[in-house]
Amino acid sequence: MAEKPQPFQVLYCGVCGLPAEYCEFGPDFEKCKPWLIQNAPDLYPDLVKEAGSKEADKVSDQLSSTSISDAGSSKPKEEVKRLPGGKIKKKEKPEIIIEKMTRNKRKCITTVKGLELFGVKLNDASKKLGKKFATGASVVKGPTEKEQIDVQGDIFYDIVDFITETWPDVPENAIYFIEDGKKVPAV
Amino acid sequence: MFHRVFSSEEVSAQNQVKASVQRKIRQSIADEYPGLEPVLEDLLPKKSPLIVAKCQNHLNLVLVNNVPLFFNIRDGPYMPTLRLLHQYPNIMKKLQVDRGAIRFVLAGANIMCPGLTSPGGVLDDEVGAETPVAIMAEGKQHALAIGFTKMSAKDIRTINKGIGIDNMHYLNDGLWKMERLD
Repeated sequence: MAEKPQPFQVLYCGVCGLPAEYCEFGPDFEKCKPWLIQNAPDLYPDLVKEAGSKEADKVSDQLSSTSISDAGSSKPKEEVKRLPGGKIKKKEKPEIIIEKMTRNKRKCITTVKGLELFGVKLNDASKKLGKKFATGASVVKGPTEKEQIDVQGDIFYDIVDFITETWPDVPENAIYFIEDGKKVPAV
Repeated sequence: MFHRVFSSEEVSAQNQVKASVQRKIRQSIADEYPGLEPVLEDLLPKKSPLIVAKCQNHLNLVLVNNVPLFFNIRDGPYMPTLRLLHQYPNIMKKLQVDRGAIRFVLAGANIMCPGLTSPGGVLDDEVGAETPVAIMAEGKQHALAIGFTKMSAKDIRTINKGIGIDNMHYLNDGLWKMERLD
């Protein structure tokens, strides 16, 4: 048997988990920078230089404005999630969308999407819905990998009251109906 | 191949495989990657149970101690995960893309021929079509993706157009993020 090759140790970035040399192509290079400066300074020589000059700036800043507390600098920066390609992902406003699907002409299914955004357990919710309306209600995987609740029958008009009553955290104006492909506020 | 959001939810079944299947998997991995043979016993101990996780799109993951080590598609060849490849970088044939391509490869794009034939790229003429390869990058030490060649290296050089390598697994994709599967 040949000599065992030793497993090669790769330095993975502590922030994004990529090998350190790929941080610059990672999801958030800015955040990785401090870690890189500390742990892999030889990979990004430019970065260290830059940081050095920044440090100097900071020191001079402090000297010039010792009296002013750094309340301004500690302002929480707004977090923007960046998708690959530099697109900015908007933070989704939690909302509940209720949709009715007709099947067999006079039967229909009401789907409720977005309950989980309000910290509601979907399993519990489906059970409650089923009990309240005396129909079948189940948690179903929706088209975009999100889970939704399907309730048999048309419960369009009672459901808003029911949701706001059982889960007081849910504001009424976050509930929307879909009618003819348009989003209509429930209130 | 793997989505950015590939997660444990896409695993439809996890089975501890029979000893015979385990032997078969071992054998095919050993055939595919002779360089791995000395450490194969450490990676896939004969004694410890081997688990195969079936995922969507006819994808199989080979797990040892809940850590994904290899994957394959349908009955295709087994390919190591990038974490494993980083540990044993010399087990696969390597192709190198130029610097401009890194960004796209890390976003999951397939590797186009010009990225391999340009001055920053390196082609290994021994690579035939439909073989798993490690994809390295210009100026980087480690592999950034694992691909499956669509045409042989010679064809890539002569045709120099279109997809040369299918991107199977790249840094920061779902499989990369799934260090453990429980």
